[in-house]
Amino acid sequence: MTPYIKKEVLLQAKGVSLCYGEKCILRDVHFSIRDIVRPGIQQGQVVSLVGRSGMGKTQLFRLLSGLQKPTAGSITIRERKPAEVGDGVIEVWRERPVQAGDMGVIFQNYYQFGWRTVKQSLLLAARRNPALAGTEEEAIREYASRFDIADVLQHYPGQLSGGQQQRVSIIQQLLKGSNFLLLDEPFSGLDICVLEKVTELLLQVSLSDELKTLIIVSHDIATAAAISDTVFILGRDAGGEGSTLVREIDLIERGLAWRSDLREDKVFLDTLAEIKDCL
Amino acid sequence: MITAQVLFALLIWQLSPGGLIPGPLRVLEALGNLVSGRLLYDSLLTSLILTFKALVYSLVLTLLFSYLSVLPFFRPVAEFIVKCRYLTLTGLIFIFTLLTRDGGALKLSLLVFGIVPFFTTSFLAVILRTPAQEFELCQTLGYSRWETLYEVIVIGKADQVFEVVRQNFAIAWMMITMVEGLNMSEGGIGTLLIKYNKYNDLPHVLALQVLIFGLGLCFDYGLGQLRRWLFAYTKI
Repeated sequence: MTPYIKKEVLLQAKGVSLCYGEKCILRDVHFSIRDIVRPGIQQGQVVSLVGRSGMGKTQLFRLLSGLQKPTAGSITIRERKPAEVGDGVIEVWRERPVQAGDMGVIFQNYYQFGWRTVKQSLLLAARRNPALAGTEEEAIREYASRFDIADVLQHYPGQLSGGQQQRVSIIQQLLKGSNFLLLDEPFSGLDICVLEKVTELLLQVSLSDELKTLIIVSHDIATAAAISDTVFILGRDAGGEGSTLVREIDLIERGLAWRSDLREDKVFLDTLAEIKDCL
Repeated sequence: MITAQVLFALLIWQLSPGGLIPGPLRVLEALGNLVSGRLLYDSLLTSLILTFKALVYSLVLTLLFSYLSVLPFFRPVAEFIVKCRYLTLTGLIFIFTLLTRDGGALKLSLLVFGIVPFFTTSFLAVILRTPAQEFELCQTLGYSRWETLYEVIVIGKADQVFEVVRQNFAIAWMMITMVEGLNMSEGGIGTLLIKYNKYNDLPHVLALQVLIFGLGLCFDYGLGQLRRWLFAYTKI
């Protein structure tokens, strides 16, 4: 098995509930995402959150993105921040509640401002990132070239294909500089060729930084599990009304993470069956 | 096909028993008479200047109140302006006369008062139709409330402002003839229309109506083209 260490907690959900009046959608959701370190390899984290339709995946997506506040509980993120100690500056971990803007959020329909060209949209995001100050245009050119959208930079969203729109959305959120990338149903409605490209793209993103963490909310269990290191299953149990996290499956322990030859693997197929049983 | 339909309608008009209503040939003759004189051009210029002034003032006020309406404090003000569509100008003429210094200002203020509620109604509808995702995208990019307002409403809806003006220009154009009748010393097509009406000169009245109608259509087309030229993405 590939050697790895699970280090600091990067994101933690503690007792998260979401209710509208008497009706509870989510109940007591607990989970954490840790920094997985593989010696000699720059590798981020890819986590899938799967569940049947109507289990509150989108609601949890909104809570994680900070667009909505939970009725109870908290979602916190930990990030490395520079701190002055004596004469020098060291990086310390700081924990705080997630807020809108902390996460890179890619909506299911890859929404972009219709009145901005691709380049203008990307510039808006790049200007929010202090690390890119003065080099925004250069960063856009680099990402556009890497993600194969250099020829559509002057186009408007309405002139792009679905795949191009998705890449623009991802680049926009990457340029913003967040370590967390939250994707809502990124495989929905894609044909098999595009699906392969998208999974490849997401893996490419996860390899771009040690702290880069992708949280994929999806009902496509096989595709999501194939690129993840951990799968969280959202479902119902006997504990009360609303959905909660019924299972966490560590795919690294089973030797199913960071592999491209999984689809026919018996352990992988058994794991998929296990996930389906939990739904 | 449209040309054929128009010609057919004109033919029926010409052949129908007229009585007091003049036929198209007499109207055409009156139109020629108007076009050959200077009075029409002076009147048109006066009306156009007044209309454009009123449009500019109305647009500024509409945008101000519409943008501010996203703040809870200003929401009732914007809603009150929308309801002012049901106020008739005729009952307010005396109050506006007291509030303004001359006939020109009276006409302008009446026009602005008449236009702003319609502009505001349309533009508020545009703002209310804004998809939540536009605001949420701003939030995910870490925008403040003011930055979101600027991006989504000011920049994002700039093309819609043109559409609102285009759709409501007819109201301004319709009211110009009414308010010009209040202060006839400055002229204008409204004054001209009242003058011809007074002497029952129906061929000239109808000729003027044709001109007013044609100009309205030209503005409608021109504003549509301007919108497409200024905001290329509206063509997609």
